[in-house]
Amino acid sequence: MDYLYHILIVCLIYAVFAQSLNLELGYAGLYNFGHIAFFGIGAYTSALLSLSGVPVLLAMGIGACLAALAGAIFSLPALRLSGDYFGVATFVFAEMAHLFFLNQRDLTGGPMGLPNIPRPGFTGSGVESLPYFLAFVLGGALVTWAVLQRITVSPFGRALKVIREDEFVAQALGKHTFGFKTQAIVVGSFFAGSAGALWAHYITYISPSDFSLQETILVLLCVVLGGKGTNWGPVLGAFAVVFFGEFVRFIPIPPEYTRFVAPAQGMAYGLILILMMLKRPQGIIPEGRRSRKC
Amino acid sequence: MTAYYAQLLANGIFAGSVYAMFAVGLAMVYAVFKFINFSHGELITWGAYLALMFCSPPFSLPLYLAAVPALAITVVLALAQDYLVYRPLRQSNPIAILIASIGLSYLMRNAVRLFWGSDLRTYELPLSEGLVIMGIYITKTQILIMAAALVFFVILYLLLTRTMLGKSLRAVSDNMELADIMGIDMKKVTITIWVLAAVFAGAGGILVALDTSMEPMLGMNSLIKAFAAVLLGGAGNIWGALLGGMFIGIAENLGMAFISPDYKDFIAFAVIIILLLFKPKGIFGIAGGVR
Repeated sequence: MDYLYHILIVCLIYAVFAQSLNLELGYAGLYNFGHIAFFGIGAYTSALLSLSGVPVLLAMGIGACLAALAGAIFSLPALRLSGDYFGVATFVFAEMAHLFFLNQRDLTGGPMGLPNIPRPGFTGSGVESLPYFLAFVLGGALVTWAVLQRITVSPFGRALKVIREDEFVAQALGKHTFGFKTQAIVVGSFFAGSAGALWAHYITYISPSDFSLQETILVLLCVVLGGKGTNWGPVLGAFAVVFFGEFVRFIPIPPEYTRFVAPAQGMAYGLILILMMLKRPQGIIPEGRRSRKC
Repeated sequence: MTAYYAQLLANGIFAGSVYAMFAVGLAMVYAVFKFINFSHGELITWGAYLALMFCSPPFSLPLYLAAVPALAITVVLALAQDYLVYRPLRQSNPIAILIASIGLSYLMRNAVRLFWGSDLRTYELPLSEGLVIMGIYITKTQILIMAAALVFFVILYLLLTRTMLGKSLRAVSDNMELADIMGIDMKKVTITIWVLAAVFAGAGGILVALDTSMEPMLGMNSLIKAFAAVLLGGAGNIWGALLGGMFIGIAENLGMAFISPDYKDFIAFAVIIILLLFKPKGIFGIAGGVR
């Protein structure tokens, strides 16, 4: 039962994270390949603050806001690029953040990471806190879903879709595309930061290797598999990816082959990404529209 | 003290010539197919590891012979990438091809981990004594890198400017559809581009691994430098990418005089960020950062 709680908590955290990426990638059409950086900023900020005595909930809020601020600062130069080059910039930004976590030992603990991050006071700690933490994460995920749902059906969400389809048309219609895209990144980074903070306080130990390219691939997979540009898609994708990852642990593998498991799993993730793009780029849940252009 | 800076400059030039080799391949693919190939880095890694495979038993070839089949297989890999993934996606959404290239990169990197493990590996060549020229230490590997890069770039220059094939490459990168209408053999051009990109990447990978060591992230780390170089040179500009690569190598090594070596990679990133802020089209950029 505890194990099931654990899986559900991880699923929900990934669902929040994947939805935040979906706002940028799926709705605004911004190729963000460095979303993990904002997750990491949220996680480290919240962990460091709570370790120095700030109440956990406040620390998480500050972590999410700092991630949003980082998103705003990042988007100013990066949004001057279009298309592919924005993707490169985000990708490089994530590598920079990773290097920073790794090398800034006095602040982040370097490769040793940060142990003993507290759980929120009301959930307690240890195994018996799992149901409470699950309820907490579920609440967070519901709020995220509701907010993003509200945003994406609003005129703002429709404007983002127009920008995705054709930026020049959006400009011709009098939309300030730069502002819209910045706002999408800020909101996306805020929720990515919240997901990171939830992660840090749930796992209670973070290290730079949690915020590497590997996680970028995972969250990208969640969004692409579930269906980008829909609100249920990333949630479904997150559950599918996490359950697949946990399922692999139960495949009986002789001990001498265990070192092949992680690379083979990585190959499978890469292969699924490629196959999705080749065979079903719209994901499991396709985005509803009257006509598809491509 | 001047000797110290001269040494850093020399190291920068050697590093830069390898970055330039990576960046040129990346820029060529971009110039023709108009997408950024994230899996270019894995061609680098595979080149290095395949050479290792042919160096060790059961083949046990000397490295210069092992490089030949290694490069041949790298070329086959690049052509397979194009045939299986990129060609079917060429007419679809640009985001689909980018995500597929990221997936492909991850697939190939994990395949390296599967076959050869994640540890640092070297070609286990005997250490050779460095030369001292005007107070600067240079290893034989570094001379080899320099010579190989020069040879490759001269061949590329001659190919692009002196042959009919080069002319059609340039025409295609200028306007693919028009070139197709004018009867340029697109198949031949596509194959040439991938062969060139793979040879440059694979050879560069072997040279880097020879100079330092190899691990599965080798390609990814080099790719980031190549991105910086391509951004510096301007979208799809091959000679810009070459100069960009040299610049990144030199900036990185000279920068070590001022900041901690832990943050060596930050210099390439800082170059990217500064460029994005002030010159989004690249220093040598012709008009056209927009795809």
